[in-house]
Amino acid sequence: MKLLTALRAERLKSKRTASVYLTLIGSAFVPFLFLLNVLTGGSDLKALAKDPLNSAFELGAERTGVLFFPLFVILVCTLLPQIEYRNNTWKQVFASPQAKASVFLAKFLNINRLLLLFLLAHLVFMAVAVLVMHVARPDLHLLEQPFDFGRVALRTGNMYVTMLAVCALQFWLGLRFRNFVVPTAVGFVLWVTGMMMALEFRTALVDYFPYCFHLFPLSPQLQPRLPQVAWTSAGYTFLFLGLGFLDFRRRRLTSA
Amino acid sequence: MDQQPLIRTTGLSYRYSRDVQTLSGINLHVERGSIYGFLGPNGSGKTTTLSLLLGLLNNQAGDIEIFGQHLHRNREAILGRIGSLIETPSLYGHLTARENLEVYRSTYGASKARIDEVLDIVGLGDTGRKVAKKFSLGMKQRLAIALALLPAPELLILDEPSNGLDPAGIIELRALVKKLNREHGMTILISSHLLGEIEKMVSHVGIIYKGKMQFQGTLAGLHGFQRQGARLHLRTSDNEAARLLLGEYAPRVGADGLHVAFENNAQVAAINRRLTGQGIDVFLLHPKESDLEQLFIDLTTAHA
Repeated sequence: MKLLTALRAERLKSKRTASVYLTLIGSAFVPFLFLLNVLTGGSDLKALAKDPLNSAFELGAERTGVLFFPLFVILVCTLLPQIEYRNNTWKQVFASPQAKASVFLAKFLNINRLLLLFLLAHLVFMAVAVLVMHVARPDLHLLEQPFDFGRVALRTGNMYVTMLAVCALQFWLGLRFRNFVVPTAVGFVLWVTGMMMALEFRTALVDYFPYCFHLFPLSPQLQPRLPQVAWTSAGYTFLFLGLGFLDFRRRRLTSA
Repeated sequence: MDQQPLIRTTGLSYRYSRDVQTLSGINLHVERGSIYGFLGPNGSGKTTTLSLLLGLLNNQAGDIEIFGQHLHRNREAILGRIGSLIETPSLYGHLTARENLEVYRSTYGASKARIDEVLDIVGLGDTGRKVAKKFSLGMKQRLAIALALLPAPELLILDEPSNGLDPAGIIELRALVKKLNREHGMTILISSHLLGEIEKMVSHVGIIYKGKMQFQGTLAGLHGFQRQGARLHLRTSDNEAARLLLGEYAPRVGADGLHVAFENNAQVAAINRRLTGQGIDVFLLHPKESDLEQLFIDLTTAHA
């Protein structure tokens, strides 16, 4: 009950913040570009030649999952904890009758609420893009194909689970540093490192480096090891959250 | 009035770094139903003390009891009965006044109607969709007070609440503090670095300087302390003979004459009569009563 109360407070605090707009704009980016590409006769038309409806959702997931979703996670995990620093409100939070554990978990759950909203909004925007494509290009026969919802749901679930470790680490960094630039820069550098490890060096360490995990649901070469990596991601999540909480409880976040 | 103090600290000490002792041995006693003025110059340890009372800083040495309960064993239950404003207002700039209060409403278990009540108390009932970052400093301060009042607290802790307020705002704040104490029975602990600002509303005073309590008691007690500090400055034809004659008044001879303690005007007249009666001419007879402001300065600089 106390956690729900704290979560409600966090949801109210994030009202009208950049993180909500970032969620909606970030999730619409790929569907919009995809739609433009198809309507202007771009290269994506070839990819839609076989099983067009499911291929459209797969293409959308790949592009969002590799680039926009990780960047969104890095940004939102930094932006939301900054609300307290920017408004100088930590002291009011800690002077209110709630446990530090509730505050910490509520903040993490609120971020996860936005992560899930991002993934859901992405699917909605993809569906809208497909509908517009169907009206504009009936020759693609998009809505006459069977839709594999189970595959879409499983892929979306895997995208979420494999990003949890990064989410927990970035959340810790976002709480740790008063300066917004530090956690964002660390996140970007580690994300680029992860992409290079997976795509350029193809090292076996990708199974243990959280910033590579988001590629596993999307890459046919990495997919066989996805279940193990999903568990590793869950383990890292608990580890980073535990360490983050110990640090959060110990540190003096007020200016007093 | 209940004799059990609402706040009792015993030997409270704190240091931010190893070589700087910010508080030492603070024994704060705040009576239930009182308005306690916590006075001291900037950097004397007021905010640190209040932060310790609210659990914003971890207690390093000493004990804190509030409502007769140990703070660290009953933190949440105690904080649910306290409203606070520490230093600058803690508000979410992107939210309206009502939304700022709504963030904490459920945490304190307050009703929706309570939001309207506290906004009306501080005169911010008509701010509508205006977000807090567009408020003037005075409005922000009033909204922060509304937030402190949200839980209908038994104890209100206000740290320098008149910072940034214009003279009219300070008078309004003073009236509000008195009203909350009188009509709602709230015990109020209010800190300030200006004695004149709070002496018109407090019933008790604590004076802190360099992390140590210099005085603690009722305002009447402080006035008594003030009278004890009153001195009569004399210059006579024979200061040494006058010193011997006025031995019972604890005279002190200085380069500028003689200084003796006195309590009232009758004593001044009696001293004059005794000197002239013994053939000592009196050239100067100047009673110097230390006002509270001077006393505050004396108390906070005597040990510097």
